[in-house]
Amino acid sequence: MQKIITLFFVSVVSFLIIHLAPGKPSQIDPMNPKFTPELVERFKKEFHLDKPLHVQYALFYKDLLVGRTVSWKDNQPVLTKIWERFTNSLPLFIVGTIITWTLSFPLGISSALKRGGAYDRGVTFFSYLLISIPGFFFAYMLIILVVSWLQVPVIGMETFGLSTDSPALSAFMDRLWHLLLPSVLGASGGIAVLSRYVRSQMLEVQDQDYVRTARAKGLSSDQVYYKHALRNALLPFVTMFGLILPGLIGGSVIIESIFSWPGMGRMAYEAILARDYPVILTVNFISAVLVLLGTFISDVLYMVVDPRIRL
Amino acid sequence: MIVKRILLVAPLVLTAFLMQSYFWVPTYEEQTKGNPARLTDYITASIGDAGVINPILSADSASSQIESMIFEGLIDRDEQLRFRGRIAKSWEIHEEAYFCVNEEADVPGIGRTGPGDIVRFLERAVRGETSVGARLRATLDAVESIVLIDPSESELNIDIDGPTRVKVSLPHRVKLVLSRVDQDLFKNLEEIMGAEYFNEARSERFIATEPSLLPQSRGAVAAIHAPVYEHNPVITFHLREGVRFHDGHPLTAEDVRFTYEAIINPKSLSPRVPDYEPVKAVEAVDPLTVRVVYKRLYSPALGTWAMGILPEHLLNDKALEQEALRRGRDPAKFGIRQSEFNRRPVGSGPFVFEEWRSDQFISLAAFENYWEGAPNYKRYLFRIIPDILTQEMEFYAGTVDSYGVQPHQVERLGADKRYQSFSGTAFGYTYIGYNMRRSPFEDARVRRALGMAIDVDKIIEFVLYGQGERITGPFVKQTDYYNTSIKPLSYDPEGALKLLSDAGWQRGKDGRLEKDGKKLQFTLITNSGNDLRKAALAVAQDAWKRIGVDVRTDVVEWSVFIQERINKLDFDAVILGWQMGIEPDLYQIWHSSQVDANRLNFVGFKNSEADDLIVRIRQEYDHSKQVEYCRRLHEIIAEEQPYTFLYVGRWTAVLDRRIVIKGKDSRGNAVYRKIRPTKTGNYTFHFNKWIKLNEAPVLLDEG
Repeated sequence: MQKIITLFFVSVVSFLIIHLAPGKPSQIDPMNPKFTPELVERFKKEFHLDKPLHVQYALFYKDLLVGRTVSWKDNQPVLTKIWERFTNSLPLFIVGTIITWTLSFPLGISSALKRGGAYDRGVTFFSYLLISIPGFFFAYMLIILVVSWLQVPVIGMETFGLSTDSPALSAFMDRLWHLLLPSVLGASGGIAVLSRYVRSQMLEVQDQDYVRTARAKGLSSDQVYYKHALRNALLPFVTMFGLILPGLIGGSVIIESIFSWPGMGRMAYEAILARDYPVILTVNFISAVLVLLGTFISDVLYMVVDPRIRL
Repeated sequence: MIVKRILLVAPLVLTAFLMQSYFWVPTYEEQTKGNPARLTDYITASIGDAGVINPILSADSASSQIESMIFEGLIDRDEQLRFRGRIAKSWEIHEEAYFCVNEEADVPGIGRTGPGDIVRFLERAVRGETSVGARLRATLDAVESIVLIDPSESELNIDIDGPTRVKVSLPHRVKLVLSRVDQDLFKNLEEIMGAEYFNEARSERFIATEPSLLPQSRGAVAAIHAPVYEHNPVITFHLREGVRFHDGHPLTAEDVRFTYEAIINPKSLSPRVPDYEPVKAVEAVDPLTVRVVYKRLYSPALGTWAMGILPEHLLNDKALEQEALRRGRDPAKFGIRQSEFNRRPVGSGPFVFEEWRSDQFISLAAFENYWEGAPNYKRYLFRIIPDILTQEMEFYAGTVDSYGVQPHQVERLGADKRYQSFSGTAFGYTYIGYNMRRSPFEDARVRRALGMAIDVDKIIEFVLYGQGERITGPFVKQTDYYNTSIKPLSYDPEGALKLLSDAGWQRGKDGRLEKDGKKLQFTLITNSGNDLRKAALAVAQDAWKRIGVDVRTDVVEWSVFIQERINKLDFDAVILGWQMGIEPDLYQIWHSSQVDANRLNFVGFKNSEADDLIVRIRQEYDHSKQVEYCRRLHEIIAEEQPYTFLYVGRWTAVLDRRIVIKGKDSRGNAVYRKIRPTKTGNYTFHFNKWIKLNEAPVLLDEG
């Protein structure tokens, strides 16, 4: 119930922000000499922009709930568009998430264990390097290197012009290849940040009594850190994990643009530039739902991680 | 420890699995040299995806690029920018003019006259039995027939200050058919019929409204629905025989009429409506003849028929209703805009639509039955690559055939032996506009002085890497409307100071310009997101500071810039650009009726001679006269300097050197020629004859 109220407020606020922000849909672009004021009025009427805001609000969400919203840019149903882009973005998201959420832990833990040593300093250096240099720079470097050394295409979801009669296996492998660079790039930034968190969390629990007890019992260092310490250090990551869900729909504008990946992020970004309100608001609404869902999931995960917590 | 192993092994195995796919991927080599089909594919890249592929609905450049391949208009422009027949084989333009008989006016020599007499009077004049001046003689020589029309009555409902019923009772009218369009017909006729004969105020007598209207509304309604005289230009198109749509259906006059009706249908919400608003009727006289009658003089009208023709049989009401029912939509709200046609278009152009994957590519195939012969390329592929740098990489790799070169790369890529490069002057110019409602910009000397203080050549050299040209007026530089005798303002800060002192601005003790104790101070603004304008802003500010002007600058986000500053006329000076069309119609941007808020003449340029010329230009159908008016208008604008015209950009594109024009000699053997751009720089003009060869060719006419 509480969540539904939150959702309602989110919908109102996002609606207001988008409609009150300066800028008009590109269909009623006032700088085109060919567009007479009469025509602009007609477009406004068609898009219901001539009605008071609360009426527009009701009309929009009514359409959204029955799945009738269409994009102003190309008159395609918004939900179909989003679904198509969502399925395109999904593999990137899954691969990126798996790599980030696995590799960060051993990396963070081991640098916590060897705090101050050469290994720790090396990892720290590379983490900050990855965090501070913008992702698009790495993307360009990688593309240039791969293209000029390996002479294979890397952009898009599949090799352009790959004949449709090529065997299913090689078509699948081709898709995998195109997945590699963008997802690894996306993950590298995530690993850099997440492993830092893991390291500091680990440092915090390292000196706790139960860690010392475990060590005193004669357990191997892996047993101590991966079983006893990690479990207690995990709580903050549960929150973070719940919040990656909205990333599903947000996508990554920069990576998707550089790699010509027809994903969600690019669509949402172009919709914002063109002030395609139906698309922007629908994406916004869905991501609000996902945030709420994410927090719910992390609540459940809390219980798994820490049995003392009850909802 | 199992957790640790999973955490380490899972990502590494995943990455390794992804990496092994490298061995399955075709290399660029296999795709380009190793693939014979590649030579018959033309691949181009665009930053953005198309919106709707329908010539009557689209408003973005990606869509129109695709439309120009799939659809075809009645006419287009040839290498010299003259009109050339495409679906239409030929066309004629003549005029039908009407005027209401005025029995109260004194016609010189015969006094008050009835309908019959005035017709006989005109006939005598046409036969040359009346002595008249040379201008009227020329007008009368064009008259082909004179017909008397009986009085008529009609009723219509309109919406002005609320729903209104209008009863129009027209008196006897005379119809004149002219072999050419003559905007001065009635003005010239006044010579023999008297200045009072065509008094426009009379039209109010011909209407009765229910309820009665305010005087000014009444006048407006009368002028539209019961004009005292009117010009009806008529364009007759003769269509080519045997033109077919991609589905084999023949293209006839009905399709042309349908395309027009689809545009004006309010359900389609077409952005082309203003172009076709002056049309009175489009008639399909026979399957190969279309007659377009216009309500008034509007010379840009011919150019509007370059728009692609839609297939009536796929989009008529019946077809749309069926589609609506099939897709479970409400037929009453289902128009062309909603149709799936816009995702799977069918036209009559040289390429047939094949496939469209949103934000990935659009692919087209050669149309074998194209009336001019199928294009040499088998496929036309339009890739969507949003990032310029990736586009460049793909071009080098050979999976894109053309690349729009960035200004700083021109020198390097233009000299590269592997590519052929083309460049030309763009159709858009950048300017500094002055708000002439505000001091000190009401003084033309100040505007000129400010222009003289800026070294535009330096801007072109350093900001545009030399990829730009000076421009002096609002016409496309490659057309003959552009007055080449006007020289750009020369860089002359001394002269600028002299002009300013003539206007009363003297340098004070601190070196600042002042007049009556007031400093010369204003703010120059532009929109954010355009680095060239931002750089020009800094150059202008610096140049003006040097002559003692206190300039502040501001860079504003685009939509705020338009809504709050430009539309509300709240600015001193502004750097902006205009994209020009070839048609020399300057009404929206330069006419004095457009100076209010939300209009495009935001600098507030008012000049009665310019107004007159602007109107005459859009009413003149004779090219040489249009040219004459345009050149004069260009002179006035250069004299007044409402803008400081800065520059027009130059574009450069590179193509693989192996792409050539393939033609046939008299014996039917293939001959290859180098691609040469037209006079206006359009290198894709002969696109349908292009083909890519396996080796860089040695061409006879090279060099």
